[in-house]
Amino acid sequence: MREWAKATVIAAGLFVAALGGGAPAATQSPTALTIFAAGTLAGPFRALDAAFATAYPNIVVRPEFAGSVAMAKRITELHQRPDLLAVADFRVIPKYLFGAADRPAYADWYAGFARNAITFTYTDASKFAAIVTPANWYAILARPGVEIGRSNPDTDPSGYQTLQMLQLAERYYRRPGLAQKILANAPPKNMRDTETALLSALQLGEIDYLAIYRSDAIQHHLKHLALPGAIDLGDPKLAKLYGTAVAQTKNGAVKGVPIIYAVTIPNNAPHPDWAQKYVALLLGAQGRKIMRESGFAPLAPAAAAGRDKMPASLRPLAAAWPSM
Amino acid sequence: MSEAAVLVRDLSLRLGSFELRNVGLSLDRGEILVLLGANGAGKSVSLEAIAGFHRLRGGRILIHGRDVTGLPPERRRVSLLFQNFGLFPHLTAAQNVAFGRRGADPSRLLARFGVAHLAAARPDNLSPGQKQRVALARALAARPDLFLFDEPFSALDAPTRDLLRGELRSFVREAGVPAIFVTHDRTDAEGLADKIAVMDKGRIIQTGEAADVLCRPADTVVAGLLGVENILPGRCLGRANGILHVAIGDAVLAARTAAAKGAVSVCIRAEDVAAMPPGREWAFSPRTWSGDWPAGGGGTAINRLMARVDAVTSLGPVYKATLDCGFPLVAYLTKREIRDLGIVFGSPVVAEIEAEAVHVLPAGATRPAAEKGG
Amino acid sequence: MAVDVSVALPRRTEKAARGRAPDRSRTLPLVFWFFGSALAAFVAIPLLGLAAMPSGAALLQVAMDASVRQAIGLSLEASFLTVALSALLGVPLAYVLARLSFPGKGFLAALLDLPLAVPHPVAGIALLSVFGRRGVLGMPAAALFGLRFWGTLAGIVAAMLFVAAPYTVSAARIGFESVDPRLEKVARTLGLGPWRTFWRVTLPLSRRSIMTGFVLTYARAISEFGAVAILAYYPMTAPVKVYELFLRFGLGEAAAMAVLLLIVCLALFILFRRLVSGGGAPAGIGR
Repeated sequence: MREWAKATVIAAGLFVAALGGGAPAATQSPTALTIFAAGTLAGPFRALDAAFATAYPNIVVRPEFAGSVAMAKRITELHQRPDLLAVADFRVIPKYLFGAADRPAYADWYAGFARNAITFTYTDASKFAAIVTPANWYAILARPGVEIGRSNPDTDPSGYQTLQMLQLAERYYRRPGLAQKILANAPPKNMRDTETALLSALQLGEIDYLAIYRSDAIQHHLKHLALPGAIDLGDPKLAKLYGTAVAQTKNGAVKGVPIIYAVTIPNNAPHPDWAQKYVALLLGAQGRKIMRESGFAPLAPAAAAGRDKMPASLRPLAAAWPSM
Repeated sequence: MSEAAVLVRDLSLRLGSFELRNVGLSLDRGEILVLLGANGAGKSVSLEAIAGFHRLRGGRILIHGRDVTGLPPERRRVSLLFQNFGLFPHLTAAQNVAFGRRGADPSRLLARFGVAHLAAARPDNLSPGQKQRVALARALAARPDLFLFDEPFSALDAPTRDLLRGELRSFVREAGVPAIFVTHDRTDAEGLADKIAVMDKGRIIQTGEAADVLCRPADTVVAGLLGVENILPGRCLGRANGILHVAIGDAVLAARTAAAKGAVSVCIRAEDVAAMPPGREWAFSPRTWSGDWPAGGGGTAINRLMARVDAVTSLGPVYKATLDCGFPLVAYLTKREIRDLGIVFGSPVVAEIEAEAVHVLPAGATRPAAEKGG
Repeated sequence: MAVDVSVALPRRTEKAARGRAPDRSRTLPLVFWFFGSALAAFVAIPLLGLAAMPSGAALLQVAMDASVRQAIGLSLEASFLTVALSALLGVPLAYVLARLSFPGKGFLAALLDLPLAVPHPVAGIALLSVFGRRGVLGMPAAALFGLRFWGTLAGIVAAMLFVAAPYTVSAARIGFESVDPRLEKVARTLGLGPWRTFWRVTLPLSRRSIMTGFVLTYARAISEFGAVAILAYYPMTAPVKVYELFLRFGLGEAAAMAVLLLIVCLALFILFRRLVSGGGAPAGIGR
């Protein structure tokens, strides 16, 4: 009996020692730039990576794509250290990463680099696809029997942005109760938290219309509705108007703001110099071109909040965040 | 032709690549038919076919005049026991016995077999003898018209087999139910059979009363299965005075048997070979035949051959001695004989074989396919 | 040939008394323990680490959350339905695979193990394309039975069944294969038809294996995330809820709910094992 106990202890001990010894993460030979980015940026960022690789062949870029909030939490909760974070809603960065009373500052600045808009995508198989137009969409989507898919407003920016857009639409088209009628066609059972799930559902015909970013519609070659700028959260100049729409989520009330994608370099980034080079590429002319081709509207110049805290090399590329 | 209790006619089936062809058996009440054959001969398949587990290509099965050929197994009133007796391991002895017939009181049946005290025991905890009794009680509870035993003794040692064999024989006789007993072991055949049917490669090659088959195997395959240790190639030389002379190598043997011609196989059972001390008067060199038969009826002709002992192996109660008479000859000798004869390797002996014990068969395989020994 | 036992015995006790190295028959268990402990540690340490994360207060708080309890309840219910369906459909299939031979049997058996290798979201999408509103099975199901799989319990169960049923089938198959077919034949000759034979002989003797299959199926079903999340986000199963908590609050809350779920599962598994081993039936090996 005693021998077995000894053997067990030795084995367990060796195992733990092996774990401890081998702990430093699997960093390999060439420098790897880790990027956390919102899922909707997958398309343009891959093109950006290619451009970066051409310019700096000795650096390997490792992008990961997921929900903006999930990415922010990986930094603050799981203590992961990417070199770069890009989110779909600029507010995610100050909300989760800026220093506060109960947490240290993971980031001190951000630069908005592209706009996007919320729209509805659909396919030829969608109900009323043949007759829906930018002029009558709100009536069609309110019809009973139409299935509309959307993202979870409690965890995903596009979720609450959809709610804000519907509120704005109600006022814009002067149809009280419109938002509720349309949301009746987008009940919780039609909510998913990943793009994959939502786009699959649309393409399989499970839902007829999907509230999603215009960039996604363009990248996936999907039909989409051209909504007026007054409601699609795509025009930074209309920030005040957007502010009148408030979405109720489990995390509290969220005021509408223009959809602006923002990027930051976390304070504890392992390779800040290379990260800056990447951001420089993103904010420069080549980056803007790539964003445009992917269906985003790039901000020229980029708008930075906390500009004085930006790395010196990047400051010239961004103007101060316009007051709204 | 009297109405046999069980009649199997022309049973044919195909199972994958194996074929059963024209298998036919018949037995009367309380008779035991031993189905003998090598592994793979088709014995178990035949049994299963009679029980109703295979689709037949042809043939009929009649039990007490009832044609059961088309019936499913549960309607045939046939009882099946196999190796380790097939007791259900998750039930007690009593539950096993009560299995087929709800309502029958298992304790009475168990008492009849003397195992009432084991009613609550599990098969795992029973000895083979106890298992057999419980299995028989269970089989009897179902009141079958036919018993089918599929090598139930194969995993047991010799003394247990002997004991159980005896119990089984009495049981079947008492129950008055016919039984077919499948085995590859000839001692089972010798101990149990009223009738023997020998199978090889899906066919029955000999069938008849037990004594007949045992003493007069129809060919060398049967002889091998019956455990004849000496099957030797020979040439017929001629017949005189009711004795057939057969040459095996340089030796000539006398066989009291019907006429035969040309090349034959000579079968001699090892227990029919006696070893004698080389007497002073037999001062012949080995490989010389010395014949001695008294004229006049009634006497036995005895073959005597000079031999040398090649090998001696212990088979438990007897020793198997391989003698070199110019051809290999196997004899069974007791310990006592070995001691009295002072037999060691290479020592000279005289092998004695009565003419009646020399069987002559049509030429065939000289090495039987069946397992030796046992 | 008499063996002089009196000579043999003292030597062994002498050896033990001197505290020598154990003789070779002890080496095997020791070596196996050595490697086995490594795996046991590999499983135990992260679980213990997880259990240590939330404080008692956090656990209590998460247990008070109605939506958390609802999610756990839904997971338990859906998993139970999954096991029931696996039993109803998978056990007969396992019997067929164990007893019959037919062309394509090997392929079918391999096919049934395939769901275990499919990435979960892919499985979810595949199921959606078949059971969705426009799916080849979804359309008749909706039209004939009003059964819908998008965002419903049915969808959750479908996803769980797809990934977890293979465990029932392979465990039951092994169980049936370990039952000597001759026992079934004996039962038939004792007067039982094929159905009663299955019920009274084959099933009891394979009970252990089948129950193990059920436990594995249950465990696999309850933990399924990727496929379920495609078919149904609301109503939320426990894994979906855990992830939502992570996104909305953080690791602490998510870990607390995960630990709560594990406690519930642990209790269920222990209870289930007791049910299985109770009854005193011997191991499912036919003799």
